[in-house]
Amino acid sequence: MNLVLRFIKFFRFCLFSGLILISLGCLFGMFLVFYAAKDLPKLPSPLSRIIERPQTQIFASNGQVLITLGERKTIPLNMVSQDFINAILATEDHRFFEHHGINKLRTLKGLYITFFKTGKVQGASTITQQLAKNLFFSFEKTYQRKFKELLVALQIEASNTKQEILHAYINQIYFGAGAQGIEKASKVFFGKSAQDLSLAEAALLAGLPKSPTNYNPYRHLDLAIKRRELVLKRMVHVGFISDIEAEQAMMTKPVLHHAQSDSRTGSYFLDALINDLVLKYGEDVVYHGGIKVFATIDTRLQSYARQSLKKGLERLDTMMGITQETVDHPQGALVAIDTGSGAVKALVGGRDYYKSEFNRAVKGIRQAGSGFKPFLYYAAFKNLGFHPGTIMTDKPVIIPVKGSADWEPENFSKTFSGDMILKKALINSVNTIAAQIVEKIGPESVTRIAKDCGIKNPLQDVYSVALGTSGVTPFEMASAYTVFANLGVKHEPFFFWRVEDAFGRIIFEHIVQEKRVLDPATAYQVVDMMKSVIESGSGRSIRHLGFNRPAAGKTGTTDRYNDAWFTGFTPTLCTSVWTGFDKKKKLLDVNRVGITGGKGAAPIWADFMTQALKSDPERDFPIPANIRFETVDTTTGCNPKEDNEIVEVLKIPLKSDQQLCKEGEL
Amino acid sequence: MIRQWYEPLSAYEWLRRTFSFLNIAVFIITATFIFSEFRFDWFENLVGSYLVSTNDSRPETGAIWEAGKQTSNAHKYLNEIISKKENARQNVHQAATFFDLAAGILPGEWVTLEKQQFRTLYLTLEKSVALKIIESSQLVWLLNGSSLDRIFCEGVTGGIKLYFIDSDNRVIKQIDLSREDILEIEDGEKPVSGELADMEGFSGRIYPARNFFDALFKLPADIIPDLMVNPESLLKQNGKIINIGIWNETENGYIKLGFEFEETDGKQVVFIKGREWAVWQLSLNLRGDEN
Repeated sequence: MNLVLRFIKFFRFCLFSGLILISLGCLFGMFLVFYAAKDLPKLPSPLSRIIERPQTQIFASNGQVLITLGERKTIPLNMVSQDFINAILATEDHRFFEHHGINKLRTLKGLYITFFKTGKVQGASTITQQLAKNLFFSFEKTYQRKFKELLVALQIEASNTKQEILHAYINQIYFGAGAQGIEKASKVFFGKSAQDLSLAEAALLAGLPKSPTNYNPYRHLDLAIKRRELVLKRMVHVGFISDIEAEQAMMTKPVLHHAQSDSRTGSYFLDALINDLVLKYGEDVVYHGGIKVFATIDTRLQSYARQSLKKGLERLDTMMGITQETVDHPQGALVAIDTGSGAVKALVGGRDYYKSEFNRAVKGIRQAGSGFKPFLYYAAFKNLGFHPGTIMTDKPVIIPVKGSADWEPENFSKTFSGDMILKKALINSVNTIAAQIVEKIGPESVTRIAKDCGIKNPLQDVYSVALGTSGVTPFEMASAYTVFANLGVKHEPFFFWRVEDAFGRIIFEHIVQEKRVLDPATAYQVVDMMKSVIESGSGRSIRHLGFNRPAAGKTGTTDRYNDAWFTGFTPTLCTSVWTGFDKKKKLLDVNRVGITGGKGAAPIWADFMTQALKSDPERDFPIPANIRFETVDTTTGCNPKEDNEIVEVLKIPLKSDQQLCKEGEL
Repeated sequence: MIRQWYEPLSAYEWLRRTFSFLNIAVFIITATFIFSEFRFDWFENLVGSYLVSTNDSRPETGAIWEAGKQTSNAHKYLNEIISKKENARQNVHQAATFFDLAAGILPGEWVTLEKQQFRTLYLTLEKSVALKIIESSQLVWLLNGSSLDRIFCEGVTGGIKLYFIDSDNRVIKQIDLSREDILEIEDGEKPVSGELADMEGFSGRIYPARNFFDALFKLPADIIPDLMVNPESLLKQNGKIINIGIWNETENGYIKLGFEFEETDGKQVVFIKGREWAVWQLSLNLRGDEN
């Protein structure tokens, strides 16, 4: 009897407590609703307004649309593959058509797990809640935000049909890789319209919104496929598809679309251009202003640049004995600039944008090595009256440095060749002679010339600057060498010709201005020496690879083989190629021999330039009026004697006031 | 009447009280309340409808509205640029002189100048002054013989820059005009208070009016117009010419001549230009007279 009484007492206690709690809960809930409602964001009406946003378009030089920023191609639900709709419903909210914005049982379960299972958090957001979150709230995880999101979801449900909500959701959801909305996503990832998606493709896309970065199939295909399996299992569980259909879809290997790889996520060029635009106009104008930008990029050259760099780096992998499984692969960058205007025609900032977005072409500050010598030789010709036939001696050099240890530069070959003319010294990239020159003219003369030519990164006024110990980017090198290609005329490099607003009114126009920064005849003398670098010097691999047009350039290899460069030009196109590791790591072949600019970067340059210029007429560099040519003995700097002794001779350009074998010229 | 509550003495009493009509009614109402909510989602509908009713009074905050504001900011900024450009364009099109042109464009602004308008502005200048801007033969080549597409006028601190550009946006010719240059071009013929003797550049080349005109009239008649290419400014003066000075430098094939007038309110000097070779002929006559 006592037991029965106790039970009755307990039952009554529970009943009344429950009733009181429910009543209090209702009162508290109402208070919260009224309290939170006043701070809730206003909902746009109709909901489809959220998708209307002006789009910024960037065009290539041939008028092709390279990218549309903020593009959300809205499509009606009946234009979306049913498999995708089923997949997204099964994955995100299979009771979407049953609830009114909140799945109460799932929410209670989620709350129970979150509160009572330590370390576990169970999400229970419906599609409507997700839509509310995406439209109005940050991704900050707080209970207050969650509650507000719930209230907005209730309002969305109260003022829109399920079809309208689903339509808004699938057209605004972010899939990664710059794709917002299902139509854009299916175009980016599969190159097809959303209505043509297969079950396997639809399931893969439906898995992405949970974490667009982690499941980005371009970067983490294995994770994306695992996520697709989960989506397909959910579809089976909910009853949208059979086990057999799911298995068949799981067996299908996704064929990703790569033609879009020049979109926001795939293009170093566009990254550089957009950065430039943002600096000029701010993010609001660039991303929300609906402007039209006419870029300088030549899509044909850009494609060649990508292919040449890829091919060259794969060749480098082979030389170095690097396999697919190796974690650390060498990287590269290529920048091509039109010498006549400064327009950037092609720019690739790395091996694979999808694996590393770091733009080595414009942000990779690396030592240029001997690539800096043309600035040194120009400074010597200009300031000391030297010329390509001036004799200097390749010998051990010790240069005292104030407040520091003596500088003892060495040649790559570790040998010394004695007397030679400066043209030969550049052809063979002799460091000791470069060091003697910089000692005579001072490092500031070299840095001044480099800056005049367009090097913008800070350069140290130290002797070793002549051997390229200051950091520069491939973009700067390409830009600075165009000055030599133009025989002293500088054009500022640029990424876009014109910017228009949405109505076609011109906001900006690039005017190609010329600025003479080098003396044409002296610049020609340096160019002539750089031509010989390709003909018979450290860049001769270019000729072996079949590039036979008149061209000039210079290799660059840093002391420890960390960087291999080749920057060169024809009269119309200047291209700089850098290869190396992101970390401090040597480029060594399988025999542990260092890879130089001639071996690592020059073949990429030759491959690119061969393709880029194949339809252009062949042109040589114009010879300034006050230039004459002389043939000289490379060891004496004088005309060869007319005896039968075999001597090495080179043809050198001299200005009308310059003489050979000038006594005491040093 | 106060009823004293007492604890039920038997299980029956407990049951009777627990399952009283009131308790059962409250229980049924509560259960109905809960189950109807799960069945009909009326709470969600109620809250949703309430929020719909307050929608218009709520703030436009949150990501989607922020994006809208960014769009609005962008349009505002772009419209400002366009509006400034349009103002500059109108100012430039209304410009009757190079001074108006420079005054109409602020530093950082630019506008495209029609070839015809540049031609008109150029032709308003007296020939010797126009040469300061560009040699007329070079202008003829630029406007009629070259691949010139348009003239791009950019405002810079202290003046304007004129770029003659081709259809590839390449600059064929650039003219930098400082505000001082423009003022000099526009005001070149205005009289300056003072005496020739106080002005540098005329030293040793100042001649009394009579001597000057005697020497001038000794020249062949066809040379005299070349000595006074723009005599209008002299004819406008009411005073009497006392001295004439010859500048010691040549500028674009012309030599400046200073005419010192005695006016009621003091002395003034009016500058004109004469062809170099004609002034040279005149100088020979003047020196001959001196000797």
